[in-house]
Amino acid sequence: MNTHLHISQADARPMYLQIMEQIRARIASGDWEAGRELPSIRALAAALEVSVITVKRAYLELEQEGVIVTRQGKGSFVADSGRGSAASELQYQKLDEHLRQAVALASQLGLGPEDLLARLGTLLHPVKRR
Amino acid sequence: MNPVTRTLIAKELYLHRWTMLGMAVAAALAAGLCAFGRLAFNVGAIAWITAVIAGGVMLAIYGVGQERRDNSLQFVLSLPISPRQYVLAKLAGLLLAYLLPWLVAAGSAALLVVLSTAIPDGMLAYVAVLSGFLLANFGVVLAGALLVRSEGAMTAVIIVTNMGVSIFMFVVGALPGIRDHLGDPAPVWNTTILAVLLAEALVLASALLLPLLSAARRRDFL
Amino acid sequence: MSTSKPIHMRGVCKSFRYFSLHDLDLDLEPGEVMGLVGPNGAGKSTTIRLAMGLLAADRGEVRVLGHPMPQDQAQAKRDIGYVSADMRLLPNASLGWHMRLVASLYPDWDEAYARTLLSHFNLHPGQSARSLSLGEQTKAALLLALARRPRLLILDEPTTGLDPVARHEVLSQLMEVMLDDRRAILFSSHNTADVERICDRITFIDRGRVVASDDTGRFLDSWRRIELELAPGSEPPTVPGLVAHTGDGSFHALTVRQFDESLLEQLGPDVRGVQRMSLEEIFVASVMQHRQERRP
Repeated sequence: MNTHLHISQADARPMYLQIMEQIRARIASGDWEAGRELPSIRALAAALEVSVITVKRAYLELEQEGVIVTRQGKGSFVADSGRGSAASELQYQKLDEHLRQAVALASQLGLGPEDLLARLGTLLHPVKRR
Repeated sequence: MNPVTRTLIAKELYLHRWTMLGMAVAAALAAGLCAFGRLAFNVGAIAWITAVIAGGVMLAIYGVGQERRDNSLQFVLSLPISPRQYVLAKLAGLLLAYLLPWLVAAGSAALLVVLSTAIPDGMLAYVAVLSGFLLANFGVVLAGALLVRSEGAMTAVIIVTNMGVSIFMFVVGALPGIRDHLGDPAPVWNTTILAVLLAEALVLASALLLPLLSAARRRDFL
Repeated sequence: MSTSKPIHMRGVCKSFRYFSLHDLDLDLEPGEVMGLVGPNGAGKSTTIRLAMGLLAADRGEVRVLGHPMPQDQAQAKRDIGYVSADMRLLPNASLGWHMRLVASLYPDWDEAYARTLLSHFNLHPGQSARSLSLGEQTKAALLLALARRPRLLILDEPTTGLDPVARHEVLSQLMEVMLDDRRAILFSSHNTADVERICDRITFIDRGRVVASDDTGRFLDSWRRIELELAPGSEPPTVPGLVAHTGDGSFHALTVRQFDESLLEQLGPDVRGVQRMSLEEIFVASVMQHRQERRP
């Protein structure tokens, strides 16, 4: 299986997160269809030239998010997820958790709801401009 | 014998092929030179002894010390051998590497004595003890190289053994059992000769045994 | 023998005139890559030579692939590939001669793989060992070790002295080794970026002692540099796992080794920023802390 994922050491984010993101992107775009088998942990580690433990962690977290499923002895596969399924449910929960933390931090800093939304806007803008 | 040890012995022979060839050719030519008159004989004899000694010293120094000096010792030690096997292979390999050209040297000297009408065949016995001495001498130098770690001590070993050659020729050459028969038309294998040969064999055997015993007790290789 | 740990060292001590290794514990599991990181003279090479049986420990236990070392080293070395950055091939012979030598001694020699390694590492069998540059010597030694497909690879600074392309080739081959989950690699390196990338576990050594040993991920997750802005003159609260604290005026930076989200809650709005630390920074901070602790 040809993998064109790429890990950058110049990127500030941990390697396992980079792997997770790229896998999620391929699944979301439809490149990797539901039920497709993922490369084995060791094969992907060798292809990306990263430690086995990094790939293991990425796969583990993706499984906890419900994005992939691992069948003992058989390998890992893209989960059958669509909108409103258990997989994306977990992700929405995670998003809400992050937003709750942001709200808590904002109140500690003394920011009101409009200020928080304004900050969110500034953070989103650079993404749009690209 | 362990295939690894066998391979290592073959490796010694391969690595020192030029020294071996050089020593054999130089000794043979020197022996040949001896056939051409008194002066040629003296020059040839000295050249012969020099070739046989030099070959031994080069084998001992380059064969043993060099691996440590140029860091290839680690490569050899990464092979599946124990320290004892390493020393055994070194000893056997270098001894064999010396023995082959030594046989050529001793053989050409013997041939010279037998074929040359100017040189009495009584010299054959002397050739035998002299060759035997040089072989035992090599054993001591080789043992020294394996046991000794500092360059200074190694140099001392070489100087002492070289002095031994001169001493041998004066002392042993002056022994009545030998001196009296140098001019004989046929070689005399009397008890003096045999005693000297036996002594040489004992020295050789103990010299080779010493590094093996020492290596068996040493625990650090590097 | 197939189920034994590749490397097991317990309470290993070794003394030299000016340096000692104390109470070293090291475990390497099958399927694992462990990085050994330490300053010069810390004891990395000594540890590696103890594992290879080239040195005998004064105290403690050393077992490699189930074999007690150094007694069983001849047996153990059948399955170990050893490369050291200061290792050289025998000068009077060619690389091809070395390949034939190694192939004759190890039944698992893979000639086809050796040929591909020749091209990856840009080496030719006809080259005499004497004519190889330092980097080429290391690549040649790696080729001789890798082509035997040994169960355990013990490497002492294998990428030191290699140009970036060669380093990449080497790391790529090392990761190929890890496709087999029964094989393992121990490698010491100064290059913390490489170690961070391909090692599953990392052991830090300094002045003859193990300073820290853990999963790479745990190191990278637990260490943080937290920037605080405090009222002038006030000190930051004590936090567990504090390694270092620097500050001038109102700006302070805490280096912590037991980071978790609750720490941020504890520190509250004073936090200006949280930075992850690279393995190199973690390593230097660990060693500095270790040296301070040991100061009498």
